[in-house]
Amino acid sequence: MDYSHFRIKRIATIVVVLLLAPGVTIAGEETEAMRRQLTEIKLQMQRMQQTYERQINALEQRLVGLEAKSEHPVAVAAFPASRAASATTGSDIQIGLSGLFAAGGSSVDNDALEGLQAGAHDPNQNGFTVQNVELSLGGTVGPYFDAQAHIIFQIDADGETVVELEEAFFTTRSLPWGLQVKGGQYFTEFGRQNTQHPHAWAFVDQPLVLSRFFGGDGLRSQGVRASWLMPTEWYSEFYFGVQNPKGETVTSFLNGPGEEIGGHTLIDRDARNFGDLLYTARWFSGFDLSDTLSMNLGVSGLWGPNASGTTTDTNIVGADLYLKWQPVYSQRGFPFVSWHSELLKRRYEAGDPGDLGRETLKDWGLFTQTLWGFKPGWVAGLRAEYASADGNTSTDPLRDTRKRLSPNLTWYPSEYSKLRLQYNRDWTEHLPGKTADSLWLQLEFNLGSHAAHVF
Amino acid sequence: MKRLFRTSTGLLLLISSLTGHAALQVVTTTQDLAAITAAVGGEWVQVQSLTPGTRDPHFAAAKPSMIRKVFRADLLLVIGADMEVGWLSPLLQSARNARVQPGNPGYLDLSSVVPLLGKVSGPVSRAMGDVHARGNPHYWLDPRNGVRMAQAITTRLAELDPAHQGEYQQRFKAFAQAMDNKLPAWHARLEHLKGKPVIAYHRSFIYLADVFGFHIVDEVEPKPGIAPSAASLSTLINRIKQDDIGLLVMEPYYERRSARYLNEQTGINVAVLPQSVGAQPDINSYFDLFDAIVAALNSAGGK
Repeated sequence: MDYSHFRIKRIATIVVVLLLAPGVTIAGEETEAMRRQLTEIKLQMQRMQQTYERQINALEQRLVGLEAKSEHPVAVAAFPASRAASATTGSDIQIGLSGLFAAGGSSVDNDALEGLQAGAHDPNQNGFTVQNVELSLGGTVGPYFDAQAHIIFQIDADGETVVELEEAFFTTRSLPWGLQVKGGQYFTEFGRQNTQHPHAWAFVDQPLVLSRFFGGDGLRSQGVRASWLMPTEWYSEFYFGVQNPKGETVTSFLNGPGEEIGGHTLIDRDARNFGDLLYTARWFSGFDLSDTLSMNLGVSGLWGPNASGTTTDTNIVGADLYLKWQPVYSQRGFPFVSWHSELLKRRYEAGDPGDLGRETLKDWGLFTQTLWGFKPGWVAGLRAEYASADGNTSTDPLRDTRKRLSPNLTWYPSEYSKLRLQYNRDWTEHLPGKTADSLWLQLEFNLGSHAAHVF
Repeated sequence: MKRLFRTSTGLLLLISSLTGHAALQVVTTTQDLAAITAAVGGEWVQVQSLTPGTRDPHFAAAKPSMIRKVFRADLLLVIGADMEVGWLSPLLQSARNARVQPGNPGYLDLSSVVPLLGKVSGPVSRAMGDVHARGNPHYWLDPRNGVRMAQAITTRLAELDPAHQGEYQQRFKAFAQAMDNKLPAWHARLEHLKGKPVIAYHRSFIYLADVFGFHIVDEVEPKPGIAPSAASLSTLINRIKQDDIGLLVMEPYYERRSARYLNEQTGINVAVLPQSVGAQPDINSYFDLFDAIVAALNSAGGK
């Protein structure tokens, strides 16, 4: 990207401004008054802190004294369970840097790999790939909001550094009736896999049906969504959202003028009214079937305009299932067996009414993957995928009938790093050889805040 | 402001209890916290643990079913000291329950009411393994800390539900009295361990050692959270022989092969200690836990 330096500069400026913001003062008489008040508040806070510290020290001394007196000092004064005592730090911002790298090769050349490994974070060249270097910032904004941002650095096939704002959004903390609102730039809650960042994936590459329907980066855009934790006995949540339908991260919608899908050339179309936005919905449920087995079930839907005509629409629906077994006794979360499957269908209106060759393109695909954590730090995985479309699609790398089988083995030397070896066997129609074999070695490191354990 | 909030919360709770509303909903991250809460809360609270005592709470994951429980909670009790660092924050973000957010009366981190051992002074690096710089989080394995926790929980329950303050205080007194009665007997049964060197699998029994007077001189894990290797085990064998170490203690969920191997090579006794309430089917209360630990330490013997 030519803009990368510009983008870096802009991000740097924003960061600097954010860091300096508390020190910035505004001229005028009001500020003088504000400053006085602030100083007073500061002094009060200091006094409070000193009082608390004195009290705590006194209690600690009493405690030590009591312990010395008695052999088994039960029922002594506990530390003050005061909330002021535990509030030691002013900010709880979490910062993390994750690096994801791959090395490997394939029986086909780099041009062919671009079609096979269509995910923007997939290893996609013979040799080395910088898959994803991600800077994550997150924390609590105040009593009412949490926020997080994820900025991605990548090096493309031409050696250029690319910077992307992957996600930056807020979520509400305490709306009534089980409601939560999220807004900003975020991964659409569609299925289970789409919202996961590359370093959380169980395989080195993105499922091919997601690359086909959502593009290389997964489905993400700017918008707002509300979710409702339903008053059911089990966990059940309903999500409804509206997002911008335009750009390279919403590929089944308003994207890629000049490109083609099923022989239809895409035009430059903008959203003109509310009806032209991308509407997203998801219903997600979770159950504990027993002490050792739990299940998640979800159905998702997307409705939005597409760029093959001025009035054309796309609809994508999906279903996802996740099962996880973990024995009653488990060491560091091992052993476990998990099974994750998703099925997606796309209905794409191609061409306006009256256009010659107007048709509805129907595509579908699925992936099913199982992971077996057989001893602490070791996970074996197997993924099977299938994707297909109606009509004569055999020369289109994003619509031909395609199968892929991927066994892999992952070793986590610690919670903050992993090494993964994956073999991909591909069956495609669009390549002259019809098959491809690839072997990838992946390495990940994490610095900074403790990453969350994803269930 | 905070007082106003607390008073109004109290009033609301008072009104709801007068109108026959259900018991105070308490959710805990571990079964030990749940057991202590049940002991001091009695019939006035309904308590659920998010993780079972058979699993290491540090390695839990935020499951959807947990979101439901935290959403409904009036009070959330956590071990703290980074024990739940991998899953509590996403859980609290999804649970959309202002009552139990940190800083509000419905959130209580029990690590703030006990003296933590094993604080690391000086620089901490992840090259040292899973080191908890703020202190070792396995503090519930000291019964004296159990009383401190019970007292803090009692105080908080009374704040949230002032109508039953008397009952909570009464039950706490009974709990502390029971501990006063039990502790000398446990000490007497473990007299033979006083001053003895002991090996632990993981750095999780320092509080138990502290209360019963034995010394944990080494761990089977070469670094906290790092699995033993053939080389690290052979170093350990030499140490066991040299220092004449007679006892190895470990949690039920760790692999037993290393312990068996050390036993074959050196004759060291192995005691598999339940580390939490619920770790074995017959451990239902905080007192059961120490009865079982003392019994396991006794039957393992030791030189």
